Amino acid sequence: MRSLISTLPGRVGTVLAVALLVAWSLGPIYWSLVTSLTPPLNLLGAPSLWPQQITFEHYAKLFGATSMSQGNAVQSVWPQFSAALANSLITSILATVVTVAIAAFGAYAFVRLEFPGRDLLFVAVVATLAIPAYTVMIPLYRLMISLKLIDTYTGITLIYVSAFLPLALWLMRSVYQAMPISLEEAAWLDGAGRIYTLVYIVLPLAAPGLIASAILTFLNAWGQFMVPLVFSPTLATKPLTVLIPEFVTRNYIDFGLMNASGILAIIPPVLLVLFLNRYLVSGLMAGATK
Amino acid sequence: MSTSTPRRNRKPGELALAAALVIPIVAIMGGLVFWPLATSVVDSFYRIDPMKAGTPFVGLANYGGLLTDGNVQTAWLNTFAYVAMAVVLETVGGMGAALLLNRVKHGRQWLLAITVLPWCLPPVVNAIVWMWIFNPSYGLLNHVLLSLGFIDSRKVWFNDQATALFLVSLVHVWRMMPLTAVILLAALQSIPRDLYEAARLDGAGPIKSFRLVTLPLISSGVAIALSQSTVFAFNLFDEAWILSGSSLDTRSVIIQVYLTAFQNLRFSSGMALSILAMLASLLVSLIYVLRVYRETRYD
Repeated sequence: MRSLISTLPGRVGTVLAVALLVAWSLGPIYWSLVTSLTPPLNLLGAPSLWPQQITFEHYAKLFGATSMSQGNAVQSVWPQFSAALANSLITSILATVVTVAIAAFGAYAFVRLEFPGRDLLFVAVVATLAIPAYTVMIPLYRLMISLKLIDTYTGITLIYVSAFLPLALWLMRSVYQAMPISLEEAAWLDGAGRIYTLVYIVLPLAAPGLIASAILTFLNAWGQFMVPLVFSPTLATKPLTVLIPEFVTRNYIDFGLMNASGILAIIPPVLLVLFLNRYLVSGLMAGATK
Repeated sequence: MSTSTPRRNRKPGELALAAALVIPIVAIMGGLVFWPLATSVVDSFYRIDPMKAGTPFVGLANYGGLLTDGNVQTAWLNTFAYVAMAVVLETVGGMGAALLLNRVKHGRQWLLAITVLPWCLPPVVNAIVWMWIFNPSYGLLNHVLLSLGFIDSRKVWFNDQATALFLVSLVHVWRMMPLTAVILLAALQSIPRDLYEAARLDGAGPIKSFRLVTLPLISSGVAIALSQSTVFAFNLFDEAWILSGSSLDTRSVIIQVYLTAFQNLRFSSGMALSILAMLASLLVSLIYVLRVYRETRYD
């Protein structure tokens, strides 16, 4: 292998393959960004890989009080867009905090404490990773109606937690298993209690695992579409993923507006990948290989 | 699953603490997953339809109805097409990406971040971005193919069912391939370097050492990657729904479940179909796992 890499054709091949992978991964996102900055009339002409003329018109439609569309002043979509943005942030953050908190404490019990049915319970919870979410969707819908939790933050958050908890639990369990017990035993000898040891010694050491679980949960919640499509019928809890496709159903498809709102919706995931990619990848690898 | 905790004397209060930490998990998973799952199974034998009075026991009638429903059959065929295309493309592409990432020395973290990015974005946004690329009048795809001379007139891609199925799969593959790549990369990185040295000294070329050293050692990673590709492709909803809505040409089983239950309000029929879809995806995953383990055990 090494001799192949050091030869010139091998190197050129590697560079080409890297270029192909980058173009495949970033190309569509780049194209969406270009579209969101192109004036509407230019979108109807021949596409150019670099915007001839940059406009913030599509973003103004999202943020402005009124805006121009095909020569007419129209109501801006900001009230809807801002409500959906807030809903996306609130439900994703709530789901992340609750999921990671339950997983952080629960996984500790599965690793360090002994109680009857421990392994059976863990296997049962993790096995639900293989059960597609929609299998439980219809009974869940009837349950949420009877509890009056349709279109509430509580209802959406509970569903997200039940969907993302198994992965977080799996991750945190593997983090605790890799941790030497000697540190905790030293703390116990010094008279520290179980809970004190868990909160002040174990959790800080498990920080990378906690961050990885939080990122995975947040990304899963942020991208959810089918759950809010059913459980968030109004702007009371409707997230961006459900609002943005609704821009299609207007008189004509406003691709500039859709791409601009799409670009705004991917800012949180892009920031996570840029700054916390190390934790994200380690989380994906641990979740996949253990 | 073996326990990793060494046996020791149970401290007083340990049971109470364990209960306090585990009860939230039992409550949430029990109430929102296990109980609804059990209800789903039971209710699929009854007629539950808000538009009709009563909920009589109907035996296998819901399942029987699904077998003869032409739309359901089409949805199954579409889903099998999605699974086949997605699993093949994700595995081949993900393996290529993983081998490349494993070989690149400079800036691997950045290349990995770029590779993983599509997986992190909301599937709905991915589908919208691609929908604009596939647009018949103004889309990039038609424009590029026209200017390269591959086609002589603009194509309405979603008018042809085979093309539509392929394009929906392509958008799904764009999102899911990174996961396969990361799983396979983790497996590749666990292979000791000196094994390749040894293979090279024995005169094995790159292809032979891939076949004889790499593949057997990453087989469990491959099994995991195959089963997750399958489960996610069986679950395909967002991409097909955004790109062409309830169109029968691209309708997946999950879209059929959604339409049956939430638009036609035939709850029990939807539950029966969702249970069949779950069993099918679990069965196919199980086949991979067994196959891959059997084929690599004596290597």
